[in-house]
Amino acid sequence: MVETKKIFSQKQVLSWMCILIAVLPLAIPNMNFHHVMIMFVIFAALGQSWNIITGFAGQTSFGHAAFFGIGAYTSSVLFWKYMVSPWVGMLLGALIAMGVAVIVSYPCFQLKGHYFAIATLAIGEIIQQIFVSWEYVEGATGISLPILPEGFLQLQFHQSKLPYFYIAYVLFVLVIVVAYGIEHSKMGYYLKAIRESQEAGEAIGINPTRYKLFAMMISSFMTAIFGSLYAQYILYIDPFMVFSLPLSMKIVLLTVLGGLGTLYGPIIGAAILIPLSEYTRILFGGTGKGIDLIIFGLLVVLVACYQPKGMIGLFGGWARKGQRTGGEKGE
Amino acid sequence: MKKIFMVLLAGLLVFSLALSGCAKQQVQQSAQPEQAKTPEEKVDVVKIGAIFPLTGSAASTGVKLKYAVETAEEIINGEHPELDMPLAREAGLPNLGNAKVKFIFADHQANPEVAKSEAERLIQNEKVVGLIGCYHSSATKPASQVAERFRIPFVAGSSSSAALTERGLEYFTRIAPNDDMETAFFFEYLKYLNATYDAGIKTIGVAYIDNEYGVHAAQMVDKWLKDKYQGEGFEKVVDVKYPKDLSNVDTEVQKIKAAKPDAIFHASYIGDITQFVKKYKEFDVVPKAVVNYCGGFQDPQFVVNLGKDADFFSGSNATAPSLFAKMDTLNKINEIYKKKSGVDFDGPALEDFASAMVIADAINQAGTIDSQKVMEAIKSAVFEAPYFVSGKIKFGKNGQNEYSASVMVQTQNGKYEAVWPVDYQTAEPIPTFPAWKNR
Repeated sequence: MVETKKIFSQKQVLSWMCILIAVLPLAIPNMNFHHVMIMFVIFAALGQSWNIITGFAGQTSFGHAAFFGIGAYTSSVLFWKYMVSPWVGMLLGALIAMGVAVIVSYPCFQLKGHYFAIATLAIGEIIQQIFVSWEYVEGATGISLPILPEGFLQLQFHQSKLPYFYIAYVLFVLVIVVAYGIEHSKMGYYLKAIRESQEAGEAIGINPTRYKLFAMMISSFMTAIFGSLYAQYILYIDPFMVFSLPLSMKIVLLTVLGGLGTLYGPIIGAAILIPLSEYTRILFGGTGKGIDLIIFGLLVVLVACYQPKGMIGLFGGWARKGQRTGGEKGE
Repeated sequence: MKKIFMVLLAGLLVFSLALSGCAKQQVQQSAQPEQAKTPEEKVDVVKIGAIFPLTGSAASTGVKLKYAVETAEEIINGEHPELDMPLAREAGLPNLGNAKVKFIFADHQANPEVAKSEAERLIQNEKVVGLIGCYHSSATKPASQVAERFRIPFVAGSSSSAALTERGLEYFTRIAPNDDMETAFFFEYLKYLNATYDAGIKTIGVAYIDNEYGVHAAQMVDKWLKDKYQGEGFEKVVDVKYPKDLSNVDTEVQKIKAAKPDAIFHASYIGDITQFVKKYKEFDVVPKAVVNYCGGFQDPQFVVNLGKDADFFSGSNATAPSLFAKMDTLNKINEIYKKKSGVDFDGPALEDFASAMVIADAINQAGTIDSQKVMEAIKSAVFEAPYFVSGKIKFGKNGQNEYSASVMVQTQNGKYEAVWPVDYQTAEPIPTFPAWKNR
């Protein structure tokens, strides 16, 4: 039983997952597949970031698109208006998102359960409306980023999508490392304690507001980083794209689909949800019958009905079975 | 139950992998699309990508646009000697050995990100030699940027944001008049009403949805007032911007009522304009004229939704059913379209039909699928378009069709009547709204 645990240690499984993700685009050198892989790593990382505040700390946020949008807009506006490198904009956007997270989260953390979730949803909508009405950032018309010669500094690549993928991939791995670090640190245990019972956590000396705030800052920082990357990849943003409630819901959905509160969950969820939505649309979208959305919805219903703990629940079952088998063999 | 679930999941994964495998066979390393075939080589099928909102909030419009493009495909690939227009008499493209044209449809779901990825997929995997679409200006923007990057011609049909042709793209053209042209067209129409019918229209109000379409239209009103029409006595007295997900327009309509504009410029979709008209009736708002940018008013559903209350509104439109009797070719094309869609051509559908005809005509004129030569043909040729009142299409340096394909239509007795310019009039305009209680 102990041996089985060693074979399937979390670090090893994550490492194999990351290696597989890294080599897949090389094995299948198709640009459309590369696009799917880019969206996959971006959304897996977004799910992982959201997981820190919701999965670990138990604070359900329905407004993460706000941080994503702030990241996207900061780098885009700086690049479009002042030709500041998107890398600088990415860092600034993440810092601004972190600042906004502190300002809006502190009062919201006084709220519990559903009220916190509703507050984050409302804040997301308010921030979207500010950007829709803000003429300096072109309001509802959005920003078309100028197409420049490709290069790492301007974060534009036109001949191949692989540079976009590997930049997204490196950031995705960093997010996993951070999430892994948090999960196995004192902070991770504190967050889980707060998730299970805030009152019990307080009784043993944990300051819930401080740790929830730390979790939100880290989560918003990482979300904004991917907002900037997304804007540079699509080269066009408007408030309805990057601040939308459906975007927040997609992040929530894929994490819940994969398994909330685990490091594998967002990766598994994104690995199913993103290719499925892309390929069903490619295959059936042109018919105009919405078959792709029907299939997509069907999967979500199936998971909700039979695997409410997410896809990770299936693997958990296997692991337990494997452990039992291993134990029996040992005997 | 878990076993069933696992089987379903495995099926889905195999399905995804199979799709990836299919895609793999269409590998292309370079960013440049394949242009291996020279004019001398025989091309059997010319593929053109068509990206529309086939699902989502604008799905009903997107499906009509798809029927319009399928109508163009049928005309090009079949023999239609009864139609006096290019590519109708012979089957296929005569200058390419009668090669057939195949439009590959993609759904952008009213999402710019999806529009971009679909444009890339159509170019990379489907090897299309040109693109048309996308109805939503916000989707046309990133999709046309992809086309520019791959140096593939993009002919937009009904996307109306003026910003699209202000980006300096070399491979982008647009058929529909933009909101800049529409605004000037509206002011000229109001001047015509004042001069011919002594309508006395001086003050205007603008009601617009808070998105790219609405905001840009409102900006164009300000621009034209400042540049020209303020000097001719027009004045803006109210500006009403309303959010995208509007559930009630009481406040907006009361604001308009208080300002009492003689004419209202509307940039609204079908759901919004329907709500506004109902509230205009409820609050007894009686302007002298209401002119609508290409949007909800042009959708025949406007009349269906509102019945008699829909009368006396006006707006620019590429066509109107009342024009069919005057334009024989358009009438015959409409018969083909109506068999597919069950409804008559509306403005956006005709503009997207035109985009399909123009790109096929340009490929035929170029005699090759070489994108650079096709683009040269698009930029230099004057295309015959007997289905438009202008009769032709010619793109300017910025890619905008220089011949405005619009007429001013007004709803009269539940029908869209062409009321201006006078040459295409099917009915005289009614310059003032009657009181709501007298309808």
